Amino acid sequence: MTPRRIRPTRLQDRIVVFFVVLLMAVQLVSFYFIRYAIEHTAQNTMREELRVGARVFRRILEQNSRQLVGATSVLTYDFGFREAIATRDRPTILSALRNHAARITASGMSVIGLDDIVVADTIDESNAGKPYPFPDLIERAATLGRTAGVRVIEGRSYQIIVVPVLAPLPIAWVSMSFVIDDATARDLQRLATSEVTFVQSIGGEPRILATTLPPSRRGALVSAANRIIATARDGATVRLAGEDYEVLATPLEGTGSLPLYAILQRSSADGLAAYLLLEAIMLIIAGLSLAVTLAGAMRIARRITRPVARLGAAATEIEKGNYAVRVGSETSDEIGELGRAFDRMAAGLAERDNMRDILGKVASNEVVTRLLEGGDIELGGEERDVTVMFTDIRNFTALVEKLTPDQSLQLLNQFLTVISEVIESAGGVVDKYLGDGVMALFGAPVTRPDDAQRALNCALEIRDRVAALGPVLAARGLPHPQVGIGINTSRVIAGNIGSPSRLNYTVLGDGVNLASRLEGLTKRYQVPIVTGFTTREGAGGIACRELDKVRVKGKTVAERIFEPLGPEGTLTRGEEAHLAQWHEALEMFRQRRWDATAASLKALSTLPGYERLVAIYLGYIRDLVANPPGDDWDAAFTLYEK
Amino acid sequence: MRALLIAALAAALPALAASIQVTAKDARGAPVENAAVWAVARLAPPPRWRREAAVEQKDKQFRPMVTVIQTHTMVRFPNRDDVRHHVYSFSAPKPFEIKLYAGTPVAPILFDNPGEVVLGCNIHDSMLGWIYGVDTPLKTGADGTARIDELPAGDYELQAWQYAQSAKPAPRPVKLRAGESFAAEFTVALKALPPRPASR
Repeated sequence: MTPRRIRPTRLQDRIVVFFVVLLMAVQLVSFYFIRYAIEHTAQNTMREELRVGARVFRRILEQNSRQLVGATSVLTYDFGFREAIATRDRPTILSALRNHAARITASGMSVIGLDDIVVADTIDESNAGKPYPFPDLIERAATLGRTAGVRVIEGRSYQIIVVPVLAPLPIAWVSMSFVIDDATARDLQRLATSEVTFVQSIGGEPRILATTLPPSRRGALVSAANRIIATARDGATVRLAGEDYEVLATPLEGTGSLPLYAILQRSSADGLAAYLLLEAIMLIIAGLSLAVTLAGAMRIARRITRPVARLGAAATEIEKGNYAVRVGSETSDEIGELGRAFDRMAAGLAERDNMRDILGKVASNEVVTRLLEGGDIELGGEERDVTVMFTDIRNFTALVEKLTPDQSLQLLNQFLTVISEVIESAGGVVDKYLGDGVMALFGAPVTRPDDAQRALNCALEIRDRVAALGPVLAARGLPHPQVGIGINTSRVIAGNIGSPSRLNYTVLGDGVNLASRLEGLTKRYQVPIVTGFTTREGAGGIACRELDKVRVKGKTVAERIFEPLGPEGTLTRGEEAHLAQWHEALEMFRQRRWDATAASLKALSTLPGYERLVAIYLGYIRDLVANPPGDDWDAAFTLYEK
Repeated sequence: MRALLIAALAAALPALAASIQVTAKDARGAPVENAAVWAVARLAPPPRWRREAAVEQKDKQFRPMVTVIQTHTMVRFPNRDDVRHHVYSFSAPKPFEIKLYAGTPVAPILFDNPGEVVLGCNIHDSMLGWIYGVDTPLKTGADGTARIDELPAGDYELQAWQYAQSAKPAPRPVKLRAGESFAAEFTVALKALPPRPASR
C-alpha cells in the first residue's frame, strides 16, 4: 500500500463517517426530545386519566352509597319490617333483618335502638345489647335523616348505611353494611380503568383492605402506601418493585376520622404501550435512513474519491511522461467535468509535448511558441512556398587563422548569435547551422504573407550588422568580415526528415539548392546578397540591382538574380542614377549592343560596387564578340560549379 | 296561629274553685304552641269518666296534629280525604292499626294508657300526629296562655309536655287555696324533629 492509495480511502471514510455521525447525532437528539415528549405526554395523559378515574371512582362510590341508602330506606319503610321492629322480639327482628338484607344483597344488617344499643346484628349476633360501634353515623343520620360511611370491621371495609326506622318518628336505627372487597375493587377497576386498592393507614402501618392487584404486587404497594398517600393526592409517579407507576391516592368520603384511602394506579409501561408502535416505527425509519445515508454517503464518497484517485494515478503517469493516459469520466457532474478537463489537458500536453519535441530541434523559440499556440500544425511532408536564406561568413578562415580554436569558436558563435537574432526577430526560422553558415526559412512551418519581404529585410540587416562588427574586429587586429547571403523563394517540400528517433524539420527542393547557389554567387559578383527573381517580386519597397541571369545546370529556364540594396528611398540620388545607368547598360547588353554596352559600363567602372560587375560584363562582351552567340542566346550565364 | 292549646286538667270541685294561669316558653323565651299542661292532684285519685275525641285526616295531615286526651278516651279517626289512609302507631301506650279505610271507621280506638302515641300513615310517610294521654281530668284552654279554672284548693303537681321536647319539663308542685289564681311558667327545651318526607 502506497500512501497515495490510502489517502482517498481515508477521504471516503471521512465523508461516510461525517454523514453517518451527523445523521446519528441528529437522530439521537430528536429521539431524545421525542422520547421526552412522549414520556411527558404519556405521563400527563395517564395522570389526567387517573384524575378522571378518581373522579369517576368517587362519583361511583357516592352513587353506590346513595343507591344503597335509597334501597335501605325503602326497606325500612316496609310496614311488616317496622311491625317486626316494634315487636321488640329479638329473634323476629333478627330474621327480619336477614330477610331484608338478602333482598338487597347486603353483607349485614343490624337494628340499633334509639339509645344506640344494638338490638340485633346479623354479622355478629353477640353484638346485641352492646353499644353500636359507630355512633357518629347515627348522629349524622339523626341530623340528615340518613347517612352512609365507610368503616372497617375486623380488617374488612364496609360501606355502612344508617337510616332511621320511621313510625313515623324514628323508633330505631337500621345499619346496613356492604363489604368492600376485591370484587368491589374489580368492579370499580373496570370503570376507573386503573388498579384499585383500598388502604387503611393506622399509625403509619398501611393495610390493604381490598385490591385488584395480584398478591405478588401488593407488598411493594404497602411499603410505598404512606408515601403515596402523603404525596400523590393529585397524581405522582412512583417506582414499585422496579416498575414505574402512575398513582393517585384519594381519601374515601364518609370515613370520618378513619385514614382510609383508595389508591388508583396504572403501570407507566401501559401508558407508554400506545407509543411503543410509534417508537418502533421511528426506530425503523431511523435505521432505514441510517442505512440509506450510509449507502448514499459511501456512494457519493466513492464517486468523489474514485475519480480523484484515478486522476491522481493519471497525474502520476503524466508526471512520468505518459501522456497517453486518460481518465475517461462518464458522469455529467463537476467531477466528471474535472475528469474530462484532465483528459483534455493530457491530450493538450501530449500534443504540445510532441510538438515541442519535434519543433525544438528545428525551430526558433518564437516559431515553436507560434506553433504551439496555433496547435493544429501539419507536421508531415507538405508543399509550400518558402523563402530560403543561406548565409556564410565568407572570409571566416582568414578571420580565425590568428586565433586559438577556442577564440575561433567564440568568434563564430558571436556571428551566429547576431545572425540568429536578426533572423528570429524578422520572423524567420533557423533551420540549421552549416559550419560558419546558417540556413533559415521564412514561410515554414508558419506561413506569413510577407515572408519574402521579411527575408530581404533580414538579409539587409545581417549585412549591416556584420558590417558593424568590422570596427570591433579591426580593433583586435582582425580583418573586416564579409557575409554572403543567398535568398530564393520557391515551392518546396517541408516536413520531418530523418529517422523516428532523430527527426529534423526542414525543406527540400530545387529552390533550396538555388538559394545555396545564390549564396555562392555572392563571391563571383562580390556583393553581400543575391536573391532570386521570385523573392524580389514578392517583396515590395526594396530597391534592387539586377546582377545577371543565371542558368542552373540541367535547367533550361534562366533565373534573373538581384542584389537588394536597401529600402526604397534610402538610396542617394547619385546612387539611383548609377543604378538606372546600370540597368540601361544591362538592357543594351541583352539587346546585343556590345559597343554601347561596353561604353556605358566603362562609365560606371570606377564607381564603388560596380567594378566587379563591369569587369564581368566586359569579359562577357569580349567573349561574345569573339564568339557571336546564336539566335537562342538569352543573355544567361550558366552556372557550372556548385 | 298563636293559639296555645292548653290541656288544663284538674281534680275539680265546683265550689271554692281556684285557677292556674300557665305560660309555656321555649329556651329563648318564645311562646310554645301545642304544649300540654296539666295539674295532678296529689292526694285525690283522678276522677274517671269516658270521653270521646276525634283526629281527622284531612289534606293528608292529622288534624289536630296534637291531641291531648284523658286516658280511656275513645278516639275516632274520620278520614276526610278522598284517598284511603292506613293509620297506625307503634307507640307503647297504644299500638294500633286501622288498615286502608275511607270515611269514619266503625270502631273508635280506646286509648287506655297515658303517654305519647305517635300517629303515622303507612301510605303517606309525611303524615305525623300525636295523641297524648293523661290520667287527670282535663280542661281545654283556648287562647295564648293556658288557664285551668275551677280547681279545688289543694296540693297539685303541675306537669307539661310538648311533642318536640328534648326532655320532659320538671313537674312543679302547686298549692292552691280557694279563690286564688296561680300563675306558672314552663320553659320547654325543644329539639328539631327528624327530617320528614314531603307530603305527596
